[in-house]
Amino acid sequence: MFCERDDRVLFNDLAFSLHEGELLQVQGSNGSGKTTLLRILCGLNSSYEGELFWEGVPIDEDRETFLASLLYLGHRVGVNKILTARENLRWSAALHSPKTDQDIDAALEAVGLMGYADITCRNMSAGQQQRVSLARLLLSPARLWVLDEPFTTLDVSGVKILENLLAAHVAQGGAVLVTTHHQLDVPCSMRRLNLDK
Amino acid sequence: MWQWFFRLGSPKWFYEMSGKWLPWLLVLMTVLMSVGIFWALLFVPQDYQQGDTIRIMYVHVPVASISLACFPLMAVAGVITLVWKMKLADMVAKCAAPIGAWFTAVALATGAIWGQPIWGTWWAWDARLTSMLIQFFLLIGVIALRSAIESPDAAAKACALLAIVGAINVPIIKYSVEWWNTLHQPASDFSMDENSAFGPEIWVPLVIMIFAVYLFFVISLILSTRNEILQRERRSQWVMDIVANEKV
Amino acid sequence: MSDTANNTSSSQPLGRAPIAQVSTFSAFKATLKRDLLIALKRRNDLLNPLMFFLIVVSLFPLGVSSDPQELTRIAAGAVWVSALLASMLSLDNLFRADYEDGSLEQLLLSPQPLYFMVLAKNISHWLISGLPVVLLSPLLAYMLYLPADAYWTLVLTLLLGTPVLSLFGAIGVALTVGLGSRGLILAVIVLPLTVPVLIIGAKAVADASLGVPIGMHYALLGALLALSLSLAPLASAAALKISVN
Repeated sequence: MFCERDDRVLFNDLAFSLHEGELLQVQGSNGSGKTTLLRILCGLNSSYEGELFWEGVPIDEDRETFLASLLYLGHRVGVNKILTARENLRWSAALHSPKTDQDIDAALEAVGLMGYADITCRNMSAGQQQRVSLARLLLSPARLWVLDEPFTTLDVSGVKILENLLAAHVAQGGAVLVTTHHQLDVPCSMRRLNLDK
Repeated sequence: MWQWFFRLGSPKWFYEMSGKWLPWLLVLMTVLMSVGIFWALLFVPQDYQQGDTIRIMYVHVPVASISLACFPLMAVAGVITLVWKMKLADMVAKCAAPIGAWFTAVALATGAIWGQPIWGTWWAWDARLTSMLIQFFLLIGVIALRSAIESPDAAAKACALLAIVGAINVPIIKYSVEWWNTLHQPASDFSMDENSAFGPEIWVPLVIMIFAVYLFFVISLILSTRNEILQRERRSQWVMDIVANEKV
Repeated sequence: MSDTANNTSSSQPLGRAPIAQVSTFSAFKATLKRDLLIALKRRNDLLNPLMFFLIVVSLFPLGVSSDPQELTRIAAGAVWVSALLASMLSLDNLFRADYEDGSLEQLLLSPQPLYFMVLAKNISHWLISGLPVVLLSPLLAYMLYLPADAYWTLVLTLLLGTPVLSLFGAIGVALTVGLGSRGLILAVIVLPLTVPVLIIGAKAVADASLGVPIGMHYALLGALLALSLSLAPLASAAALKISVN
């Protein structure tokens, strides 16, 4: 797995690559462009100059393959507040690979939301909504996870769960790109990219 | 060919070239405009039906024809913006919208002034006036969208898209309005084909005026675009050089 | 580097097989279902366009005249203009919540053709806001003394025309969804685009009440529907990409 970019707008001559079985933590002070970088990588932001490759192929040439391998969790968690946790996950799974309700329940249990499947998300705390969003990681077959500040609203046990998820994903040969100020405690191959330098 | 195309897309190149061309265009326009206006006002014979009123045609028709060209122009610029991300195309599109809106407004106003003696009313839901009015609304929409979006980059793309959608719609609107109009009331005698005796003494000054007004549009567009270029490229070296030289 | 790329691409078919099986159709269905579900859980949003439609139509007799003959003359136009305004009003729900909670990003980054995803959202939006208006229209037409011959025409033209309004409107919503203060800009952008639909639809109803044959009107509306079905979702998808930028 190889993904590279090089850019000259917010960041000059930034070039990096991410390999499978690797976690890359993007660091930088507020406003250093962490979120922008992630959004550019996913293709949500197109105001950049430079090139992005996925498995050696420019992403623009084969977006579908790239998107099929990508799971992005942004600042906004992508959880509709009117729907229940299960309904939310059913939809987001259907976009990637449909899952049964058992799968969804298992995923919710794994993120510590057992019994919350039929609770309307409006009645959940921010941290719980974040966990619903994290359940996507378990339901998606994507090999590249791009996570923007996934730790912000999580409590101690939530942090532990996410760290375990990251480690397991990397151990299975997946790749993770994550921005966080949190001191990651993940037993896997990890690199840091600092945007301040 | 492509090299030429992309060089054309460079704001600096455009600024320099248009600077050289502007004086010539201005001279040409002044000559054509004065010849056209004097001819139209003083020497064109009175119309057998409309009398002196026919002279409004020499302003109305050129202005209306250029305002019809505005949407296709913006749509082409929009395609270039979206496909090749050429900044100059967006600058042109941005400047063309208000100018086009003004031309449309003038076309509507002269149409109303012309309509008064003929229909006895300042406004009639004539097919042409109506579709001109709708087009005016469309242009106002593009301008409103441009001013509502803060990021210039997003505004450029959004307006490009809207201009393309609008340009696809303009002919549909035009035909549906014509269709609606002919069913509602008999076709107006507003059109020129009524004057079957349409001799050269009438159309030559009209052609001159059309060229003059086109040039006027082009010059306004160039001036406005040059302004926009300086504003957007104010941080680049060549603009700073120009500003420094002008102060001396 | 190229080595890594080759390695993974050779092992790729295995990893990607389950993804390839996700049919666009099931994603389309899921999106349709989700949006309908959200709408059903928000009863107020369901009722508001309908109430708005009812109120605007009843403003015409109050503003114009209660004289049946005069109302008969304007009935076709009044119902059509009100339907147009009602569909404008309901447009805002189309992408707004998804934009705010981040679901839109999930949709844009799904490996599905956006055309169908946007189309699904459009269809569910129309089922919720357009179809009830169509179904209510005969009642309102009766209140405006529309000749009985024109009822079917009214329903059929609205059935063909309101989806076009939704599809065009979606482009405008997609363009303005990221704006903090949208105000009336959506209406300013979208209303001029809807002129042909209004003209043809209202004209068809008016002609039908006069007993004029209206096959041509249906053909034109159908053509507009076909055109907007094939192009508008593409434009909306492009606009959404611009708006989340």
